[in-house]
Amino acid sequence: SAPSLSVHNRNAILVSHRQKGNPLLKHIRNVRWMFADVVCDYLLGQNSCALYLSLRYHLLHPDYLYYRIRELNKNFKLRVVLCHVDIEDVVKPLLEVTRTALLHDCTLLCGWSLEECGRYLETIKVYENKPADIIQGQMDTDYMSRLTHALTTVRHINKTDVVTLGSAFGSLSRIMDASMEELARCPGIGERKVRRLYETFHEPFKRVL
Amino acid sequence: MVQFHEHIISDLLEDSNGGLVILSSGLALHKLIASLLLLHSPSQGTLLILSASPSQKSSITQSLQSLQNPNPNPDLPTEITSDLSAQLRHSLYSSGSIFFITSRILIVDLLNSKVPTSNLAGLIILNAHNLSETCTEAFIVRIFRSLNRTAYVRAFSDKPHAMVSGFSKAERIMKCLFVRRLHLWPRFQVYVSQDLERDPPTVVDIRVQLSPLMNGIQKAVIEVMDACLKEMQKTNKVDVEDLTVEKGLFKSFDEIVRRQLDPIWHTLGMKTKQLVWDLKTLRKLVDYLVRYDAVAFLKYLDTLRVSEGVRSVWIFADSSHKIFEFAKKRVYQVVRSDGVNLAGESKSVASKRRKVKGDASNEKNANGDSAGTSANSGIVLEEILEEAPKWKVLREVLEEIAEERQNQALSREGELMVEGVEDSSLVLVACKDERSCMQLEDYIMKGPQPVMREEWEKYLWSKVDLHGLQTHNRKKYKEPKSFGVFDGKFKEPKGFGILNGVLPSTHGQNAETASISKLERDALLAAASGLSNPVAENISIGDNPPPTPGVGGCGKGKVKRRGKKALVNAKSSGCEDDVKKREKTNRSETCISDNEGKSGENDPVEVDDFNKGEDGTLYIQKGFLRKHNQGVDAKGLTHAKPLPPVHFHALESEQHNILDDLKPSVIVVYHPDMAFVREIEIYKAENPLARLKVYFLFYEDSTEVQKFEASIRRENGAFESLIRQKSLMIIPVDQDGRCLGLTSSYEAQSLASQNSVTRKAGGRKEVEKDMQVIVDMREFASSLPNVLHQRGMRIIPVTLEVGDYVLSPLICVERKSLQDLFQSFSSGRLYHQVETMVRYYRIPVLLIEFSQDKSFSFQSASEIGDDVSPTNIISKLSLLALHFPRLRIIWSRSLHATAEIFASLKANQDEPDESKAMRVGVPTDDGIVENDVRAETYNTSAVEFLRRFPGVTDSNYRAIMDGCNSLAELALLPVEKLAELMGGQKAARTLRDFLDAKYPSML
Repeated sequence: SAPSLSVHNRNAILVSHRQKGNPLLKHIRNVRWMFADVVCDYLLGQNSCALYLSLRYHLLHPDYLYYRIRELNKNFKLRVVLCHVDIEDVVKPLLEVTRTALLHDCTLLCGWSLEECGRYLETIKVYENKPADIIQGQMDTDYMSRLTHALTTVRHINKTDVVTLGSAFGSLSRIMDASMEELARCPGIGERKVRRLYETFHEPFKRVL
Repeated sequence: MVQFHEHIISDLLEDSNGGLVILSSGLALHKLIASLLLLHSPSQGTLLILSASPSQKSSITQSLQSLQNPNPNPDLPTEITSDLSAQLRHSLYSSGSIFFITSRILIVDLLNSKVPTSNLAGLIILNAHNLSETCTEAFIVRIFRSLNRTAYVRAFSDKPHAMVSGFSKAERIMKCLFVRRLHLWPRFQVYVSQDLERDPPTVVDIRVQLSPLMNGIQKAVIEVMDACLKEMQKTNKVDVEDLTVEKGLFKSFDEIVRRQLDPIWHTLGMKTKQLVWDLKTLRKLVDYLVRYDAVAFLKYLDTLRVSEGVRSVWIFADSSHKIFEFAKKRVYQVVRSDGVNLAGESKSVASKRRKVKGDASNEKNANGDSAGTSANSGIVLEEILEEAPKWKVLREVLEEIAEERQNQALSREGELMVEGVEDSSLVLVACKDERSCMQLEDYIMKGPQPVMREEWEKYLWSKVDLHGLQTHNRKKYKEPKSFGVFDGKFKEPKGFGILNGVLPSTHGQNAETASISKLERDALLAAASGLSNPVAENISIGDNPPPTPGVGGCGKGKVKRRGKKALVNAKSSGCEDDVKKREKTNRSETCISDNEGKSGENDPVEVDDFNKGEDGTLYIQKGFLRKHNQGVDAKGLTHAKPLPPVHFHALESEQHNILDDLKPSVIVVYHPDMAFVREIEIYKAENPLARLKVYFLFYEDSTEVQKFEASIRRENGAFESLIRQKSLMIIPVDQDGRCLGLTSSYEAQSLASQNSVTRKAGGRKEVEKDMQVIVDMREFASSLPNVLHQRGMRIIPVTLEVGDYVLSPLICVERKSLQDLFQSFSSGRLYHQVETMVRYYRIPVLLIEFSQDKSFSFQSASEIGDDVSPTNIISKLSLLALHFPRLRIIWSRSLHATAEIFASLKANQDEPDESKAMRVGVPTDDGIVENDVRAETYNTSAVEFLRRFPGVTDSNYRAIMDGCNSLAELALLPVEKLAELMGGQKAARTLRDFLDAKYPSML
């Protein structure tokens, strides 16, 4: 029936018949896809679409991208140019593609393998309605990863150092309150790290001018 | 001042354009610079010193002070920082004095035409080995040269090995500095070796045997390293020739490997990448083996096991097993009790006794807690606590020195002879790091057992913590001492769940080892629970007189005296080699001058006098970490033999003037270091009358010796290669003999475009548009502004609130290097940056900048995985695109590609407006503060740190920063105060709990 089909369609990537034979399709596994009559190459959602471009193809047909973009109507909020970087000498062709995409309101995404390109399409479809919290700075909430996350803001402090500091001082507040001498006693924490840590903890947030 | 310094200076002064000086490390570069600065007179103009490290700055200033002492001259170099107002800076630039300045401020002032370049005498650039064509210093010199053709540029480096990495690096650096003279001053150069070998100090070379277990560990680590290297070679991805275990001992090994692998990094499998990491870890292990005591080493290994976990390849290798086993054996041993019921006697803590290896009385140490688990009854923990073999030798050396002194004092009493040179009674012990210093000091004061015991107790405590967590999991949990009681129920059991999981998986190869490790863990816990309370334990140690040292210690270190040797022989690989090298340098050093200067014998005496004034005061000011009491005589110790006053010096602290400040008569080089040996030589050459005796403590047949010798070989090799490069160098000069520098890509570019115009439009000249780009001040740490300038764009540095580059009224760019991209995604910074850009500009752009010599891709196909994972960069970027559909993304292969793209985007756009760009995003009522550079007004790493705390949000972090001064202060704030600042009890409690949460220890 018609309504169920449209629900069906809404959860799938609609692929233009032009893309028939593109080996990229093999790599769309996490989302259903089906051929349909669409202007863009991949219809990823109500407001988002993608054009696929292999740089090798671009070298042969430098105007192709421009004409394809012109066909797209302005209804799409997100217009992706998915560029498959499949040549060695990228600087000049990529410059052209970047320029065309940028000046014609398209977001350029680059993939270096078909797997990567496929994954971009899948992800944009899967994340269609996802809030942005994973890129807003929230991370894993368990103690260790939070502690690591915080301490590694100090340059050159690595995961091993976090374990060292944690086991030496027992808690974050004690690490933050430690003297240089105490910090220096930790194995693996050299002069430079001691100084960096100490400065981070003891220098005022706002430097006095 | 040593004589060869005069030679260096007179050579350098010959060319008014300046030059590049490379000298062996440790040859007192700071003194050389100081002498050079002494020649500066204000009438010549202002002298700016670039890229000096803080320790270099202070040691140069100190040396200058001591040189100026007889007629005090207040003209010491000061620092120009961005704190000074633009006006003040301008007046300083024309004052004729000497200043240290950071490249970022200088380039911004140069671009804003705030530097009166005609008033500058020249530039001195330190650490020249860090320079490259695209670095800010090169940018500075290029602009500076275009404005002032007569001033000099003098660059220095004392890291010759860093000068030979990469293809004809020295030549490229010289070109970008516009200098044409290269001065090479290796240690084997005639003048240098003459000066240093005229009056060499007495040297005693002591070889200490590694203990058998240390030896075993070393062998095992080397074996694993070798295996890793062989594996690497199998991958066929790296040049095999460079990969030797000897090279593997150096940090630069990583650079060699990374330079080869970076361009193809994304094509490598997980295994190869892990191998690279593992080699780095192993190198550290070799180093720590001889530097750390047995317990600290074991602890570090434990830490590694937890943090590296199952990822590492090497942890599973056969030999690695030995590393862990031997390391453990140096500390404790688990034995099955022989059926004797020990429960009764083991009840009391006091019955725990030290089991000394080789002790005839073979006491079994029974430590099981009778109340403990059943496993205890079968297993007993023997403490071994092997002390570092060098410790004992150090004590012997110090005793010997004291004895000698006593004898001398006795004989001198009779003679009543007064010598011209005052003998300092101080003994200087040079160790690599602060930690060893403190530990050795403890050892000398208290003897070996208390030191080892303290470490051991700390180790046990860290183990028992975990046990406590396990039993009291999700219950009220008491914090030890001073931290009060808090509701520490663990909200995130997942964290140590993982930690917990690691051990079984690493250990549990089969059931038997698993059960043994469990028994062992129980035994450890039992031992730890024996230490009822750290405070009480300390007291009990204080009460017990330390055991007699004769019995204590492993006593394994066999001491072999190699007799006295000249320092040179101890260092250089062979005399014949040296002669050959000298000949070589003679031939190539065509520019050695005959300038003789003052006779060398007067100099040192003078210097000597100057120093006396501030002897001791200077280094105390600088010593930031520790207050070593100098007179560490053995008071309060059971030792009968007196010890001389000892000062411990950490080589890492880079206090180059330590020898001049302290004037030790005996130096014990506890951790051999090439640069420090040279410093000793220089000190001795400057003070030929001072009596100086140097003891070297080497571990026989250890990587320590190997590394020391290899470092000399490596430096010599670097110089040989530089000498060869110098003979083949092509430096283009103009008619006046000035260096032309790099033919800038811009010139070539504009020439080409002119040609094409001619062809296309019959010679009609198109009006060349003067392109300009507005660049945020903070961006001058990167090389892009330099490259944009090379491309012919005008760079306008301002403080931008939104974006990094403004290309046109419409286009604003946020630049992210690949590393930045990952980081600022996880911190959420990128999201907010994009958010504001989208708000203010029609075409907001994210520039993802790849590095020229690294691979152009995010990840290899194998890393992509089967599912859409929120942690993958693809997901983050897709999400960003979905949330900001107007955001444009530029993928740039390299700096130069970026410049091309910028130029092409600007082609049909208006030029950006500087004052408008500056106002964007700035709250109007605040007004614009000129030269307000965020990095300098904020402690950025502290702010970033703060923002990652749970409970801290975008809306409350500013209030927290206003309410308390620093993170250390925040750590002590009570929850009520936090609630006030954060605007809520819940957030405050979350933060407080996070700060105080007990760290889940490992076992």
